[in-house]
Amino acid sequence: MSTISTADFTKGMFIEFKGEPHLIVEFQHVNPGKGSAFVRTRLKSLKTGKVQEFTYKSGESVVEVPVATREMQYLYKEGNSYLFMDNFSYEQFNLPALLLGDYVNYLKPNDTYQILINGDEAVGVRFPKKVRLLVTEADEGAKGNTVSGATKTVMVETGAMVTVPLFIKQGDTIAIDPETGSYLERA
Amino acid sequence: MKTWQMLKTHPELWERYFIREKVLTAIRRFFLDRKFHEVETPYLTGSLPPESYLDIFETTLLDRNRKSMRAYLPTSPEPFIKKLLVAGIGNCFAIPKSFRNTEDKSCTHNPEFTILEWYRVNADYSDIMADCEELVLFINAYLQRSQKPPSAVSLKPTELTYQGKRVDISTPWERLTVSEACMKYAKIDLGATLTRSSIAEIAKKKGYQVDENDSWEELFHLIFLNEVEPNLGRGKPTIIYDYPVQLAALARTKSGDPRFAERFEFYIEGLELGDAYSELTDAQEQLQRFREEEAERKRLGKTEHPVDMDFIDALKVGMPPAGGIAVGVDRLIMLFADTTDIADTLFFPMRDLFDA
Repeated sequence: MSTISTADFTKGMFIEFKGEPHLIVEFQHVNPGKGSAFVRTRLKSLKTGKVQEFTYKSGESVVEVPVATREMQYLYKEGNSYLFMDNFSYEQFNLPALLLGDYVNYLKPNDTYQILINGDEAVGVRFPKKVRLLVTEADEGAKGNTVSGATKTVMVETGAMVTVPLFIKQGDTIAIDPETGSYLERA
Repeated sequence: MKTWQMLKTHPELWERYFIREKVLTAIRRFFLDRKFHEVETPYLTGSLPPESYLDIFETTLLDRNRKSMRAYLPTSPEPFIKKLLVAGIGNCFAIPKSFRNTEDKSCTHNPEFTILEWYRVNADYSDIMADCEELVLFINAYLQRSQKPPSAVSLKPTELTYQGKRVDISTPWERLTVSEACMKYAKIDLGATLTRSSIAEIAKKKGYQVDENDSWEELFHLIFLNEVEPNLGRGKPTIIYDYPVQLAALARTKSGDPRFAERFEFYIEGLELGDAYSELTDAQEQLQRFREEEAERKRLGKTEHPVDMDFIDALKVGMPPAGGIAVGVDRLIMLFADTTDIADTLFFPMRDLFDA
């Protein structure tokens, strides 16, 4: 356990809040009218998945929860969690859906991911900034959404729906930002 | 991806970015209809009113002989407008860019931002409260009329939706004093909590980390931000008013109770949108507060700058009693564009301009 300051906060970091490990989902600095700065955070409990807000004084000290990163292959979905296997030790870990969030839409079986481990539990994933996915269903004749311009919705290999420009065809590989689910480019 | 690239690939986003021009048009129409003058204020100045908590932008002005002078980007148009009030312009408003440093990593701040300030002479903060209610209603009705195609959800002209929540903006808005809000949401008696030791005791009891050098103001905000603010403006805008004087350096104190000052803020769905005062017009008092702020800036190691003594001179000539307010236009646009990130309202947000 190490003590850090709010100045060290990064999105995706794990800290102790009220004695329990939490993930920093989001944080931002607030300057209320007059005076010193504060840091407003959204914290997700690793135990319950519940998200709550807490505002720290800027510079307040907080306990960081240590996590290790291990390379693991995604195997399959099992009930409400996702099964990963360590590429070296072959140990298997369950990652609950609530800790994966929207990333579940872009997980590809057999692909390798950076899984975060606290003690002997999987607590999260460092997802790549860009994922390449095959377009499996695209309406060729689509006129697009005439109100908003030249876009249409296609399905990618993981089953997720993505809004793309009209020129994207079935069989294309596209790059997506998994944070927002938005189309980046044709890969 | 830069914003212009995103607009190229996602043309459906244009509509959201055009909310800005519509909100600005509506604001101008609202004030011009009410016979307010629109004034332009400078972006480059040689002196500023000292504000202890703000970090400023400094640059260099050169004359023809390349002799240099320090220059600053204003943190608000306030001192300029007040000089015009002294000169006798009457009711007026300005919508300039303002600049505040060290305000990154926030969804509600951008180091350069658009600020709307308006001032009513022979008026006080209660007149400004009424303006706020009418202005937000006016902008909302203007946007609804200009919307093509009409919104799928049927909304009254006195309703808007933000992040999936329906907000009733019809008048009157909820009005709570800071004391009432603290009692209602944090169960504390603010009148009995105005000293550092009394608030430290309460904060400790509530389980907050209290350090010896935390000021009253820091401990107040710790409780306010965690327990009070998240409840404000939910479903209906809230005007929260009469702040402890410690939190209202530029406001006139209440005549009946000098522990509090005539300042208000208004919130809609958690967004803090405006900060208003019955303006301080006493030159001596203003100079005194300037000196205190200056000393505090020195103590905090903030950039030193010449103090706007011309502003004090103007107050000596005599400023009419006035109510005034600063509204964060970008946040107002966030509300109407239904987004939680200020960057979503700007064609060129900071992250597009500076490589991290």
